[in-house]
Amino acid sequence: MFRNRREGLALALPAAIFSTLLFLVPVAILLSEAFRSDTGFSLQGYVDFFASPLNRSVFLRTLKLGVLVAGSAAIIGYAAAFCIVNLPGKARGTVFGMVVLPLMISPVARTYAWIVILGRTGIVNDAIVGLGLSASPIRLLFTETAVFLGLLQLFLPLMIISLVSAMENIPRDVIPAARVLGASWLNVFFKVILPLTKEGLVIGGTLVFTGALTAYITPAILGGSKVLMLETLLYQKVNVSNDFVSASVIAMILIAMSFAANLVLKRIATARS
Amino acid sequence: MKSTLSILAVSCAMGSAAMAADRTLTISVYSFAQDEYKEALYDPFEAICGCDVVVETGNSVERMAKIEANAADPVIDMAVISTQDALTLARKDLIAPLDPAKLTNFDKLYDTAKDPIGDHMAVGYTYYASSIVYRSDLVEIDSWGDLLGEELAGQVALPNITGTQGPLTVMMLGKALDAGTDLAPVITEIGAHADDIVTFYSRSSELVQLMNQEEVIAAPVGRFAWGSFEKSSLPFAWATPKEGQAGGMNVMVMTKNNGNEDLAYQFMDYWLSTEVQTKVAQMLVDSPANKDVVVSDEIAKNLTYGADVINALNIMPAAEIVDNRAAWVEQWNTEVIQ
Repeated sequence: MFRNRREGLALALPAAIFSTLLFLVPVAILLSEAFRSDTGFSLQGYVDFFASPLNRSVFLRTLKLGVLVAGSAAIIGYAAAFCIVNLPGKARGTVFGMVVLPLMISPVARTYAWIVILGRTGIVNDAIVGLGLSASPIRLLFTETAVFLGLLQLFLPLMIISLVSAMENIPRDVIPAARVLGASWLNVFFKVILPLTKEGLVIGGTLVFTGALTAYITPAILGGSKVLMLETLLYQKVNVSNDFVSASVIAMILIAMSFAANLVLKRIATARS
Repeated sequence: MKSTLSILAVSCAMGSAAMAADRTLTISVYSFAQDEYKEALYDPFEAICGCDVVVETGNSVERMAKIEANAADPVIDMAVISTQDALTLARKDLIAPLDPAKLTNFDKLYDTAKDPIGDHMAVGYTYYASSIVYRSDLVEIDSWGDLLGEELAGQVALPNITGTQGPLTVMMLGKALDAGTDLAPVITEIGAHADDIVTFYSRSSELVQLMNQEEVIAAPVGRFAWGSFEKSSLPFAWATPKEGQAGGMNVMVMTKNNGNEDLAYQFMDYWLSTEVQTKVAQMLVDSPANKDVVVSDEIAKNLTYGADVINALNIMPAAEIVDNRAAWVEQWNTEVIQ
């Protein structure tokens, strides 16, 4: 496309300078706090962080919810994406638009909607009490379940979009061919669909997992201080304790978890194929 | 000749304006009620001093961090913060002692506001009571101990220990449980009831929302938030527990070596004056620390007002909070939050 490499580099230069000066350098300075001590380079911040039982439980909860949200989004996302790509043209556009629509609404508004749904006077509790399943409203808000539902609703569209893009590239005849040759739907999924959509799964999984790890508004509103996650703990460290070292350690852990998730997903996809 | 005089007059006026702009006072305050403060305090003071008042707002942690970061060349001249935060700044040698002789309204203050953290490092400008707000149609509250009782299980919120209200609540629960002055057993007791507590809130606005959504029917809160509950269509009441009300005070401090001490004293004195304290009280923004302030019964019932109320408050010494906060937070995180 370009006559020489210089033209390509020249076009990329403004974005590279912008990203380096206004993103990478400040982030590197901030994150370097996580390795700094009075005596120079140190990993003491990490030792101190994981020595705290609270921090360990917050780390494990964040990991657990991230995996659950990404896994659930993949299962629901595959089913939804398979339906969408097999819809006729106009209906496909309409349904795909409905999937994308929540992304155009503020996460704050979407999260507050869950308060209306899950609150003591919300529709779920009204139904539970109305059906006689419980004499009084049950506690749904400020639980891990509430945070899980909020995060899944928040990030599911990203998984569906990634999987729809991947599935659209599957040759039309391969699934009917597999079925004609006697493969069960389970075999079709694991031996045909999954290998051919692994890139979409890796992208979608990374986006959803990373999003669930780094979301602040949803865990803060639906979980409060009783369901702390790393992001809400990070906010507390900065805004309550003024503890920038711990905050930097948490930021590094979140980055490492995101990279690890990407690597693991790639490995899983490669192994399957 | 006439035009020459006009030019001279305009020049003089411009000169005065330039001089006024040269005098700038930078203050660091809480974010709330800034429109009211502008009307009652900032604008009138600018007119009196012929100076500019630059207002910096934010939460306490951010504002204290800014004072500390600029200690060598202060960018803030005076700040208003809690007593414990003032003591923290004093121990870091970031604020200067105040000279009561430079505050003409000093003698009008309640005694506890005159030197709340010792060594005249701060002066109180407002008090707040802290008690329990509750749904009067659903429950009766007679004691701080009711917060951990069976009747409120699953319907009560407590303030987080990291905020201003947290230690006050633990102190009053300690009184209800006859735990003495050591708060560690009280935190353990809260931990034993952690499943019965809906959440541990950080901001009073958060609590207002939770109570209006009927997620919570009782919680301790500062009197400054009472106005938000009173406006609600739900029947909220302010408890008068048998152990009494907790209380606290916000104070003014002067940053060390800011070079603008005279203007800062003038501003602090104006804020403590009967005129300004009355105006701010009538706007239901701050409860007065100036004992000469007189407000109507209607206003008074929304404030922490009057010698009887103020003298009856259970105020936790700032030093006790600063000395024990780290241990309380550690224990809280281990036994309550986890």
